[in-house]
Amino acid sequence: MLIHILVQGLLLSGFYALIAIGFTLIFSVGRVLNLAYGAFLMVGGYVYYQSAQIIGLGKIPSFVIAVLAGVLLGALVYLLLVKRLRGDAIAIEISTLILAVVLQAAVIVVFSPSAKSMWPLIPGVLRFGSASVTYNILVAAITSWVVIGLLFVFIMKTHLGRAIRAVSMDVKGAVISGIDPDRINLVTWGISGGLAALAGVFLATYTQLDPGMWVAPLIIAVAVVIVGGIGSIVGSLVAAHVIGMLEIITTTMVGAELRGVATMLLIILVLVFAPKGLFGKAEL
Amino acid sequence: MFSEGTAKGLAGWAIFGVLMLIFPLVASTGMVRIFVFANFLAIFAISWDVLSGKTGYISFGHPFLIGVGGYTTALLTYHLQLPLYVTIPIAVVVTMVAGTLFFLPALRIRGTYFALVTLAFMELMYGLVQVIAPTITGGTRGLSGLPTLVTGAIPNYYLSFGVMFVLGVSAWLLIRTRLGTALSAIGMDEEAVGASGLNTTKLKLFAFMVSAMIAGLGGALYIHYLGSIAPRGLFDVSFLFTILVACLLGGAGTITGPIIGAFFLTLLLEWLRPFIPGQERYLIYGVATLILYMAQPKGVYHIFRVGINRTVGLMQGVQRGAST
Repeated sequence: MLIHILVQGLLLSGFYALIAIGFTLIFSVGRVLNLAYGAFLMVGGYVYYQSAQIIGLGKIPSFVIAVLAGVLLGALVYLLLVKRLRGDAIAIEISTLILAVVLQAAVIVVFSPSAKSMWPLIPGVLRFGSASVTYNILVAAITSWVVIGLLFVFIMKTHLGRAIRAVSMDVKGAVISGIDPDRINLVTWGISGGLAALAGVFLATYTQLDPGMWVAPLIIAVAVVIVGGIGSIVGSLVAAHVIGMLEIITTTMVGAELRGVATMLLIILVLVFAPKGLFGKAEL
Repeated sequence: MFSEGTAKGLAGWAIFGVLMLIFPLVASTGMVRIFVFANFLAIFAISWDVLSGKTGYISFGHPFLIGVGGYTTALLTYHLQLPLYVTIPIAVVVTMVAGTLFFLPALRIRGTYFALVTLAFMELMYGLVQVIAPTITGGTRGLSGLPTLVTGAIPNYYLSFGVMFVLGVSAWLLIRTRLGTALSAIGMDEEAVGASGLNTTKLKLFAFMVSAMIAGLGGALYIHYLGSIAPRGLFDVSFLFTILVACLLGGAGTITGPIIGAFFLTLLLEWLRPFIPGQERYLIYGVATLILYMAQPKGVYHIFRVGINRTVGLMQGVQRGAST
């Protein structure tokens, strides 16, 4: 029981971290909430489905295509929507929410409203002791840790990463140092879109593809950001684990139907009693 | 008694009222039914506008309030067979209590975070209704066979329009009082309002209560118009989207704007139906709203006003040019 909770919780948490990381990145750099983020995941999932299961390209090329589509989508949304509404956080929030509904409608037009099931990336189940996990979620969690590790190195060690951090700390200061915040934001949106598409492929294999699937990951990403606190990537990682564990504990102890309810309650409690989140630097 | 602007506005409301009263006499039954939906959407949009349009506390959880009102009256009539004139007022009161719950986070947080916590309320409700006591709430499938207040398209039209009109005029008059000015001042700079010696908590609570009251009444009437209730379709992002877009397209913070927006949206969707019968309609409708919103975040109402002002200004200029 305990091992089951720990293993399942860790894997799900890793997956949630992957879902949330791109959302956190945009939030900490540009101070905007991308409510179309869940729809980015959905697009990634559908592109992979089209490429791998309809056209029949291999898994790896399909993965690359899905991620590239995500990068492109992120960059386009930044250029066409976010850049024009510069600074108006509420307008960006509302227009990205409208965009999410538009993308949902687009998916319905192209792929029909019915749900599609995806083949697992790697079929099979790994058993040890009383616990068993599918290779699929195991791969998702491992990919998640690797990707987050790489992102961390990128942000901390590379020149571009330092520029991203500079913009997230102080835009004016960054401009004085010769950084173009537009370019940095564009890069961040691209990276975020790619990460979303990557997470979307795993999400689609974990659950299934359907045009309404964007709400759940958006709620998870929002929950992680709120609980972790604004502008704190470490906080997001911790929060992803808190939420993942909480969901697994509720599922095993109370019932699978209540897992979302526990997360929602956590969000509301955190927002009311600790609006800065666990590791947040600033209130919004 | 009224200022010149208010008198002109009231005249506008009167013309609108008369046109709407005549409408069912000349329109087809199908069109009247469409307008019933537009009326309900307008009620929800007014409710949203009272809270969010003025104070800047953007609510992403209005379906929560509407759903609380709807479920209260649905459960009372379905299980206890209470008459509607008892259950609907109870639904309004319960929604106002739920509105207080909604209000608590607004004491601590604002802006983006407030929108998110209200979204969380909506999702929480969606989860709870299906899980907690599905035998009572009907679970995922909801309840059907609820009693209706009046039957037929035209009585329903007059009922929904009457309620919408009264609420609209009241809310419109309300925002033109000093209270309304204080509420929009909160939207601009809450600290400054507090520093001027006004109790912002009381003001916000008032806005929340009015908004919840309208949402509860609208929700309850809507449920008894439909005769059924289900969590999907109610605690739903696309329902939220429709209300939000009606307000934003129309012009938030003006009460008239959201009503125009509600009718505009409903008619746009209907007007597109013969050209694009399939699912593509929602795509085009979404893209159109996005472009309109990007072009003028203040809404269609603002575009109209600027247009009218320009035309009037132009004509005045022409007259002046002619007289000299």
